[in-house]
Amino acid sequence: MSAIDDSRAVPAAKRPPATRADASRRFLSRLGRGLLRFALLTLAGLFLAGIVHIVTVLRIPALATHDAATVYAALGANGRAELVTPPPAGLPAILDGDPNSVAAVCSYDLSAGPLRVIAHTGSLPLGLTVHRRGGGVAYAITDRAAIRGVLEFVVMTREQLDERLANDEEGETSRELRVVSPSLQGLVVARVVVRRAFDRSEAEAQATGVACGLAD
Amino acid sequence: MRVLPLAYVIALGAGLGLTSARYAVAERPWVGRAQVGAWTSWPNSGARDIDPYMRAYLARGVHLPLGAGEGLELIAGQDDAGQALDARCRYLVSGATPPARGWSLGVADPRGRPPQLPIERESFTDAEIVRGERGGMRIVLATTPETGNWLPLPAGGRFQLRLRLYDTPISSHAGELRPDTLPRITRIDCR
Repeated sequence: MSAIDDSRAVPAAKRPPATRADASRRFLSRLGRGLLRFALLTLAGLFLAGIVHIVTVLRIPALATHDAATVYAALGANGRAELVTPPPAGLPAILDGDPNSVAAVCSYDLSAGPLRVIAHTGSLPLGLTVHRRGGGVAYAITDRAAIRGVLEFVVMTREQLDERLANDEEGETSRELRVVSPSLQGLVVARVVVRRAFDRSEAEAQATGVACGLAD
Repeated sequence: MRVLPLAYVIALGAGLGLTSARYAVAERPWVGRAQVGAWTSWPNSGARDIDPYMRAYLARGVHLPLGAGEGLELIAGQDDAGQALDARCRYLVSGATPPARGWSLGVADPRGRPPQLPIERESFTDAEIVRGERGGMRIVLATTPETGNWLPLPAGGRFQLRLRLYDTPISSHAGELRPDTLPRITRIDCR
């Protein structure tokens, strides 16, 4: 049996009167227990904060309503890329864009099928990028990869790629450049560098000349 | 009495978690940055394997970053001596640029927006500057006109420089660049 149990066996009347040292020891013991409890609760709170932090950062792209793909979702529906430098009336401008480049965008939704993008190169540097919804570039290509002045690729989901591969003729190599988009919705961005101020109208024509429509 | 500790844990977790996440993605994140001299870049911001912080940052606004194969953007908020870029001073941007099909160098406010300038000249491209005998760039940044290549600065306050390299082979390994392969930013004097 422990000493504590022994002390309990002594009748209250015979117990020596509590001294100030005992009271202070009890107070310190209670304070220590309280602090330990507070520290453990804070530790649990910090652990929870870490989980909330990670989940929030990972969920922001999915919940975003002001990202480029959402804001420009209505552009390019007519089968041609539409200029966003400057943006159409009522739409926000690109943040931290280069004043020495023009950009035209084509929104896509792959639930209707793969998207075919065709761009004709010109004298100014042209870049085509596929931006997925919620931020991030899925694919980028420049006019250096053009064949006889034409850049052409098809944007599709992983499932649509598998289906296309299954339908390919056995033993034949497809000449189609296939790009897998990690999201169903996104943007194809045509960016042309305006090397001199007087190149702007030519750059705009080159960017808006990009065609994007259903591949099949 | 158990409600109070539980409320404390939830309040601390939710409050601290949400606030730290908000601040972590309010600006370009520290994660994934590559610092070369005075210049900073985020090589993976236009790549498929973008980190979650940069992706969340991009998703919070209308950003269309350069794709990894399309080009690379470098940002400088300080000069080569490590002092913040101040519009009350004059700066010389000189030296070479990495191999690229074209580049542009522009002035922006600390948030990346176009600054308020007295004249419409906030950037230069490689085709617009006057070059020296050795072909290097030499651009003076000042509020008052300068001879040669002059980029006007706003009347006061901090600013940043943005160098965009188009169709460059270095976009995937920007972190391995040496500082002497990028333009130097030297403070000339201050008002």
